[in-house]
Amino acid sequence: MTPDISVEIAGLSFKNPILTASGTCGYGEELADIFDLSQLGGIVTKTITMKPRDGHPSPRTAEASSGMLNAIGLANVGVDKFIEEKLTYLEKFDTRVVVNVAGTCTSDYVNLCARLNDHPRADMVELNFSCPNVDVGMEIATDAKLAEETVSKVKKVFSRPVIAKLSPNVTSIADIAVACENGGADAVSLINTLVGMAVDINTFRPRLTNNTGGLSGPAIKPVALACVFKVYKAVKIPIIGIGGISNYSDVIEFFLCGASAVQIGTTLFVEPDAPVKIVKELKKYLSKNKIESIRELTGKVRIYK
Amino acid sequence: MSKIVIENVSVVKKKKLTPDCFAITVAPFSKVKSIRPGQFVHLQIPNCNLFFRRAFSVYSVNTEEKSLEILFKVFGRGTAAMASLKKGNRLSLLGPLGSSFRKPKKNELIGLIAGGVGFPPIYYLSRFLIENGFDPKKLFFFYGGRGRSDLIELARLKKLGLNSVLVTEDGSLGIKGLVTSAVEKWFLENKGSKVVYSCGPEGMLKAVDQLAQQYNIPGQISLEAPMPCGVGICLGCIKPLKSGGYTRVCKEGPIFEIGEIIL
Repeated sequence: MTPDISVEIAGLSFKNPILTASGTCGYGEELADIFDLSQLGGIVTKTITMKPRDGHPSPRTAEASSGMLNAIGLANVGVDKFIEEKLTYLEKFDTRVVVNVAGTCTSDYVNLCARLNDHPRADMVELNFSCPNVDVGMEIATDAKLAEETVSKVKKVFSRPVIAKLSPNVTSIADIAVACENGGADAVSLINTLVGMAVDINTFRPRLTNNTGGLSGPAIKPVALACVFKVYKAVKIPIIGIGGISNYSDVIEFFLCGASAVQIGTTLFVEPDAPVKIVKELKKYLSKNKIESIRELTGKVRIYK
Repeated sequence: MSKIVIENVSVVKKKKLTPDCFAITVAPFSKVKSIRPGQFVHLQIPNCNLFFRRAFSVYSVNTEEKSLEILFKVFGRGTAAMASLKKGNRLSLLGPLGSSFRKPKKNELIGLIAGGVGFPPIYYLSRFLIENGFDPKKLFFFYGGRGRSDLIELARLKKLGLNSVLVTEDGSLGIKGLVTSAVEKWFLENKGSKVVYSCGPEGMLKAVDQLAQQYNIPGQISLEAPMPCGVGICLGCIKPLKSGGYTRVCKEGPIFEIGEIIL
């Protein structure tokens, strides 16, 4: 028996639970030189804003222990070019396309999603409420009321599923998740990067021109798991787990803590073909443990009372 | 078929050229044939706690042995870990990556300008051109460094049979001065169309870039930058473009046109 690794999020089927995380796979073109994108459950595009952005000057990435710091600054081609070129490019792949969007205020999110609504290749949108490196989105990430209002306004203009991507840099991530659910979000994805910093002791300069950045990679996996675990107890909508996933066992851990799918991010920078390997290994794990479907594992962690 | 592959290779040869300079040959790599001068490989160095791969320009290839050679000087943690590799060690190789030098026109005199550790891609280009029918007499290799110890692999360079001009800042070998002065002299003494290719420290590249523009000589430079991903997805290794915005050293580069980048 071949184990079933397909999943369903908000009524949409995914051939497997492995998506690539926003900001770690561009618009797919580069990874397509390495493997067939149709092997992915889905691709989450680099964050799109209304106008093109160059992002912050160099250096905007730095190596950290078991991970990295980045402050790219949402460099992207802008929504017009994205729709014209990038979304068209993704037509040829048999995978779900999730378009990540960000803005400085609720109306930016609404305008972006209204534009994308006319382009069915955008299977879903993911609202980036959580980039710690720019003056956009962060206010919404930390304000439950604003998050709820933004989601509900986006839901009125975008007819397909809406995901809210949450920041760990808040007092209670579960409270924000509940607010997004109340606003009508079809799913939540978590976590985005943790605010971090590194300094060169010879020049006394921060290692990023933005001074602080977002920490990602295996270093943040335990934090991400705890966030997924907390949010799973607080909401009924599906959770897409993100944070330091680099192999199949990490995926299983996220499922057990409450995820229904996952996104692979920083690992792609070291092993760009990691999703292909993970899909194979997941099937092996399920076969070996006589689990019929990966969907059975969501939230099945056996917690200590 | 994938253009870029990830394969496990072994260290088949390791040479210590100077106390801090090493040449390492790895094999087998299935895409050796498709590697072009200027391209690089991204290596995951085993037994060290570095998170990212490290990028190395290709120094030479051997298509029969499916091997490729890299040459490096120990600068930081990555190159130090590379220096401690032993014959037989296995490592993951991602490549071939980045853009490559374009071929010069048959009638052009070719200026090949290398500074210190910028030697490998310029040597590889020189060898590639000669193997592809370019007359070694039309190739002028300018090799600069601070002193004698910066100019490595001279015997190998000599074997190519091209015109070589050695320049050191302290005068310990060849002409005393800056490599760009020697290049300028060559510009002035030789009529006819010319093209330059250069790799070296950023200060030198900036001087070459300015000089070539001043004399209206076309050409290309090879840039270096810390590269987390090497394949164009992290957007970390950017340089500002004269035309505005940024470009990726790992994807649009590392080879750029003279005058294209703000250095």
